[in-house]
Amino acid sequence: MKEILKVDSVTKTFRLTSKQQRQRKLDQKVLTAVDNLSFTAYEGEIFGLLGPNGAGKTTTLRMLSTLIKPDSGDALINGLSIVKQPAEVRRNIGFLTSDVKLEDFFTPDYLFDFFSDMHSVPDDVRKERKETLFKRFGIDKFSQVKVADLSTGMKQKTSLVVSLAHDPDIIIFDEPTNGLDVITAKVVTDFLGELRQSGKTVIISTHIFSLIEKVCDRVGIIIDGKMIKCSSLDEITAEKSLEDVFFELYRERKGDEI
Amino acid sequence: MKNGALIVFKKELARFFGDRRLLITSVIMPGLLIYLIYSFIGSSMNTLVEDSTASYKAAAVNMPAVIAAQLEQMNFEIETITPDQTEQYKEKVRSKDISLCVVFPDDFESVMANYNSKTPSSDVPNVSVFYNSSDINSSNAYPLMITTLDSVEKELSNVFDVNALTDDISYDVATEEDTTGTLMAMILPVVIMTLLYSSCVALAPESIAGEKERGTIASLLITPVPRSQIILGKVCALSVMSLLGGMSSFLGTFLSIPKLMQGMDGESGSIKTDVYGAKEYICLIVLILSTVLLLITVISIISTLAKSVKEAGTMVMPLMMVVMLVSFLTMYQTEVKTEFFWYCIPLYNTVECMKNVFSFSIVSQNIAVTCAANILYSGAGIFVLTKLFNNERVMFG
Repeated sequence: MKEILKVDSVTKTFRLTSKQQRQRKLDQKVLTAVDNLSFTAYEGEIFGLLGPNGAGKTTTLRMLSTLIKPDSGDALINGLSIVKQPAEVRRNIGFLTSDVKLEDFFTPDYLFDFFSDMHSVPDDVRKERKETLFKRFGIDKFSQVKVADLSTGMKQKTSLVVSLAHDPDIIIFDEPTNGLDVITAKVVTDFLGELRQSGKTVIISTHIFSLIEKVCDRVGIIIDGKMIKCSSLDEITAEKSLEDVFFELYRERKGDEI
Repeated sequence: MKNGALIVFKKELARFFGDRRLLITSVIMPGLLIYLIYSFIGSSMNTLVEDSTASYKAAAVNMPAVIAAQLEQMNFEIETITPDQTEQYKEKVRSKDISLCVVFPDDFESVMANYNSKTPSSDVPNVSVFYNSSDINSSNAYPLMITTLDSVEKELSNVFDVNALTDDISYDVATEEDTTGTLMAMILPVVIMTLLYSSCVALAPESIAGEKERGTIASLLITPVPRSQIILGKVCALSVMSLLGGMSSFLGTFLSIPKLMQGMDGESGSIKTDVYGAKEYICLIVLILSTVLLLITVISIISTLAKSVKEAGTMVMPLMMVVMLVSFLTMYQTEVKTEFFWYCIPLYNTVECMKNVFSFSIVSQNIAVTCAANILYSGAGIFVLTKLFNNERVMFG
C-alpha cells in the first residue's frame, strides 16, 4: 500500500494567557496539545482519529492542513513537508472543519468557482466537476441561493463540495457529521466510502464510535495529545467493541476520572 | 494561472457591489446626506438673514425725531414712552413682547445741538439700549439700533471716512479665486480627511476582523495562494470601496459648501467651486488615492490584531484622534511648508498638500513626495500584514 500521509513525532504547544490559565484551572503557562504524535495513512483508506474533547485531534488536523505549524516534528503529505512546503501541501488536501466557514453572502455556485480559481482549476474541469458534485449532493437546486439562506445540512454539504473543488488526494474532515441531521449525516458518511473507492485518502477526527466503526479502516486513539493506540479497526475490535477498548485505555491513563 | 490577489480582489468587490444595502449606506448615502444637511443649514441661515428684515417693535424715551425717522425706514415701529415707564417696558423686552427699549437723556437734543470737539468726554450723554439676547428678534434688532445710533454720532463729529466711496470701487482686492481658495483650504482638508477615515473604518474592520470572527478567513488561508497575495487583493479592494465612499462624501461637501457659505454671509456668488480646474482635481484624486491606501493598510493591521469587529472598532479610535489632530492643527496654519521632510510625515503630508491644492499653490514635487511616501508606508504595512497573517497566534489565537 502506498504511504500517503506520514506524521512523524509532531508536537504542538500553546502559550496560555493568565485568563486561560484561570479558566482551565492550570498552573503551567504552556499547554501541550499534541505530544510527539506519529501515525501513517495509506492510499485509499479512511483513517479515524478518535479521542475525547481536548485530546488534540483538531490541533493535529489543523497542523496537517498547514493552518498552524508544529513546534517540532513534521508530516509528509504525498511526500511534501507541512513545515517546509505548506503551499504545495495545500494543493493536495481538502480540509473541512467547523472552524472553516463559508461567506454567507455568496451562493454555492460562486463559492465553488472562487475556490476553484484559488486552486488554479482550469475552467472546463471546474464546470464538469461542479455539475457532478452539485448533483451528487442535491445542491444543484440551490446553487444560486445565498449560503445564508440555506439549511444547516445544505450549508455543510456546500462546505464539503467546495473543499473538494480542486479534487485533492487527501481529504481531512474534522468531526464530519457534527451537528448534522440523520439524513445529511448519512449522505456524508456514504460519500466518505465513495471517496475511498475512488482511491482517495480520508482522515477524520471524531468522538463518535459508531462513525469510526462504520467507515474507518484504521484508527488512532488520542488521549491528552498522545497516540495511545494505532492499528486497523479489525485488530482493535477483535476481542472487544471499540467503545470498550477506548474506555479501557482511557481509564488506564486517567484513572476513574470520567 | 490566475493571480491570487486578483481573484481575492474580484471576490471582495463582488461582495461589495452585490450587497445593495452596503452600497447605499457606504457610497450613496454619505454624499447625499452631507449635501442635503449642508444645503439645509445654508438655506436655514439664509432664512434667518432674510428674517432680520422683518419689522421690530421698540419703545423709546426722548428719542429725537430724526433718529426715529431713520429707524422707521428700517422697519422699526417706535412707541414713545415716558421715563417712568422704562422698567415696565424693560420687562416687555424680557418677555419678548417688544424687541428693544431705548432711553435717551432728557436734554439729549440740546446737548447734541451744543456739541463741539472741545466738549469733555465726561459730559457726553449716554443712550441706553435694553435688549434680550435670548430673543432672536431682539438680537437682530440690537445691532441695527447700534449701527443707526453710531451713524448719527458720526454725522455730528465726522473728521474722516474709511472706505466710504462706493462708486465702481472694490476695496477688497481679492479675486473670486482667492476668496474661495482661502476658505476651501481652511475647511476642506479637515472635512476630507475625516470623511476618508470614516469611509475606511466603515469597511476594513468588517472585511478582516469580521472574517476572522466568522471563521471565513481560514477558508482562504488553506488555499495555495500566498498570504501576501490574499492581503494585497483585500487591501486593493478595500481601497477602491473606501475611495468610492470618500469621493461621494467629498462631492457632497464640495457641492454644498457654496450653499452653506451663502447662508453664512448672506451673499450669493462670493464662493464658487468652479474656480478649480483639471490640474487641481487630478492632484486631489492622486492625494486621496494614496491616503486611502495608507489608511486602509493601517486599519487592516489593527483589524488583523483584533479578535472581532467590535474590538477593531475600539482599537482604531486612537487613529481617529491622530487624523483629527493633524487636520485641525494645520487648519489655521498660513505658512506653506517648503522643506522635504514635512511631506514624508504620513497624514500631515496629505493635509498640507490639500491646502496647497485648494489655495492654488500646487508644488508638484511636494505632491510626488507625499504620494511616494504614502505608497512606501502602505508597502511596509502590507509586509507587516503578511507577517501577521502568517502568525497563527494572531490569526487563530
